[in-house]
Amino acid sequence: MLDNNKYDRIPVTVLTGFLGSGKTTLLNRILTENHGKRIAVIENEFGEIGVDNDLVIGAEEEIFEMNNGCICCTVRGDLIRILSNLMKRRDKFDHIMIETTGMADPGPVAQTFFMDDELREALNLDGVVTLVDTKHVLLHIDDSDEVKEQIAFADVILLNKIDLVSATELDQLEARIHAMNSAAKIYRTQDAVIEMDKVLNLGGFDLDRALEIDPKFLEPEYPFEWSGLFEFSAGDYYFALQPGPDPAMNINFRLADNASEAGMRETVEKAVLVFSSDEISLKSGSVIEPSEQLSKINLEGEKLKYILRVPNAGSYVLYTEHHPEEFAAIITDAAGNQVKSLFNREFKPDHEHDEDVASVGISTPGDLDPKKFEPWLRDLLAKQGPDIFRMKGVLSFSESSERYVFQGVHMLFDGRKDRPWREGERSNSLIFIGRNLDREQLNKGFSECLI
Amino acid sequence: MPDIDYSFLDDDLLIELSQLELDDYIIELAWSSNGENLAAITVEGKVFLVNKYADIIKYKLIGQHDKGGNSVSWRSDGKEFATVGHDGKIKIWDGISGNEIISLEAGDSWVSKAIYNPHSNWLASAAGRQLRLWDTNREVFYESSDHSSTIADLGWSPDGSGVAVAAYNGVTLHVPHKQKQPRKYSWKGSSLVLAWSPDARYIATGEQDSTVHFWHRASGEDDRMYGFPTKVLELSWNSTGRWLATGGSSSVILWDCSGKGPAGRKPREYLAHSNKLTQVAFQPTGELLASTGKDAVLAIWDPMKHDKIIGRKILSAPASSLRWNKDANLAIGQEDGRVAIFKLKS
Repeated sequence: MLDNNKYDRIPVTVLTGFLGSGKTTLLNRILTENHGKRIAVIENEFGEIGVDNDLVIGAEEEIFEMNNGCICCTVRGDLIRILSNLMKRRDKFDHIMIETTGMADPGPVAQTFFMDDELREALNLDGVVTLVDTKHVLLHIDDSDEVKEQIAFADVILLNKIDLVSATELDQLEARIHAMNSAAKIYRTQDAVIEMDKVLNLGGFDLDRALEIDPKFLEPEYPFEWSGLFEFSAGDYYFALQPGPDPAMNINFRLADNASEAGMRETVEKAVLVFSSDEISLKSGSVIEPSEQLSKINLEGEKLKYILRVPNAGSYVLYTEHHPEEFAAIITDAAGNQVKSLFNREFKPDHEHDEDVASVGISTPGDLDPKKFEPWLRDLLAKQGPDIFRMKGVLSFSESSERYVFQGVHMLFDGRKDRPWREGERSNSLIFIGRNLDREQLNKGFSECLI
Repeated sequence: MPDIDYSFLDDDLLIELSQLELDDYIIELAWSSNGENLAAITVEGKVFLVNKYADIIKYKLIGQHDKGGNSVSWRSDGKEFATVGHDGKIKIWDGISGNEIISLEAGDSWVSKAIYNPHSNWLASAAGRQLRLWDTNREVFYESSDHSSTIADLGWSPDGSGVAVAAYNGVTLHVPHKQKQPRKYSWKGSSLVLAWSPDARYIATGEQDSTVHFWHRASGEDDRMYGFPTKVLELSWNSTGRWLATGGSSSVILWDCSGKGPAGRKPREYLAHSNKLTQVAFQPTGELLASTGKDAVLAIWDPMKHDKIIGRKILSAPASSLRWNKDANLAIGQEDGRVAIFKLKS
């Protein structure tokens, strides 16, 4: 057989997003920008596109079910037909863009590149770029599977039309989208203005870049976003806040052993436990004493002020569910002077329970035993394939001196050997994006495949 | 992979008559019925006419479909041929001079196929999901309702009474004038190519899901053949209708359709290619079979005698179209735009 690795596969970019999100604007930008690439465009919605030297082909969405209706086996018949034709003129272009309709499910589009042997050999799904209309997405995100899936499938998400929403709304939206799909790179754009190398030639397999952008995405998640360590004397301090994006938040005020970063770190696990216990609701003006009690402080109204009552001089840590900056929070002593934290730390928030679509990242050193890994993955995909929208990763197999890179869509999987490992580089990084994913089970299952 | 048996190979079997450089991926070739003219259409929509007088071959570019070409078909008398393309047009060309006779509006976008009826000289065309039939005055006299997807393939029945359409969800047989409702041969899958057996007992289809179906035309039942590693785009019946040759792998597979049909019978397998097949074609009259693969090998078989390769040529690129004429000349259109024409040692 011919060795596919020796052939350059043509990169394909899939552009998704609801009507009005700016797909056509971005596409026009890509076609007119001077990037030196000849681009063939397949579009499902007929817009005002037409640029000399580029090939633009209209298509009508045709969903083909295979193998008796399993969702993992649906493909796009129109794309198979058109892409097969494009393969016959592959010397005429360097890149293919597919613009889907606003309501299109990206699943069958992505699966087409795995299911059809001819396309699989000739093409490489370089990336799924999803445009989000920041002004309107919140109207759809809770009840539209299409919106969730378009976000879940994305390698790159453009939060477009940022001029139409406030900075706070944008931060919240970005945090929410990030929790759903931690592997995607998120950019904020106006009129879909973006550098071309952020949307083209992403290299579908390159997880390194995802890790570069967000080093926190493989860390565990926490029920709080911030903690700060303070040196307090005995007496009352005031925790003053302004109204912000949330009507209330949980906090825990507790004693620390000593005034160091280590002293603060030692309290993290206990705070996690506190945050999973029952809270008491407090109104502005209430007194909070250092304890194992979770307090839910009200954040509605003006001049919000909570009293932190310190019994003895010492080191104390405050944990807050949301970042204090979102509420312009400050701590003052009884005389009104601001007291700053000696150390503080930001945590990756745990939004998993808010969303049915979430990401699970696994990062672990060691070598995988292919005899254990393959059956584990096969079994996982057989059971949870419909819930896994995307997965990708870089694996270190024993007995192989090269990186193994893979990506997958639902039950379909495409992997290959990549470049050799560099000195001291060997490790495994992978991410699953899907519904109802069990983080602990996935981590446990994966680590059992290590030698 | 098992070793290929070359013990019956005759290096002189194939004699090259010509190599034409048309410079553009050849989508399809078709010989006129007298075997003297060959029409070619390329992916960019260029239409060529090749004339063969004895062993002297000349060709010329006669026209073009804007945006791209899809298919070519000769009228049975050889006086004209039709081409279709991405411009929504059927173009009819004079079979001798190559002059364009007429350009017909046949759809909004791609016209994927147009095929002449072997008896009535009607033309069947497929554009999008719709089938249209044209009479000899070039007027549309039949328009189908939409099929469940874009039409992938068409084929007139051997007696010319009906035309079968392959699409997602199987085959639909349209018999204009006689039958009000087209007959469905339903399958939940995407049928990519179809081929009528010459005796009209079967309509064979190659499928996206890597199967081949044999539809019994009369009963509407089907036999499904599994085990192909890829989707199946290559089908060819032998002249008697007993054997169907299929691609979908690196071997040529022959299915025996005599008696009750291919179900439960072990097919014959012919090995000569190191990569999957791109074309397979029985002689329209005669016993020989030709196959080509992604390995750019042309292989000739005498499959009723034995399973060993008898003729072999290395092409400059994989073949995208393979056509025998009545004189056992073989025309091969290639991905690199060349057309090679061979005759057999007499």
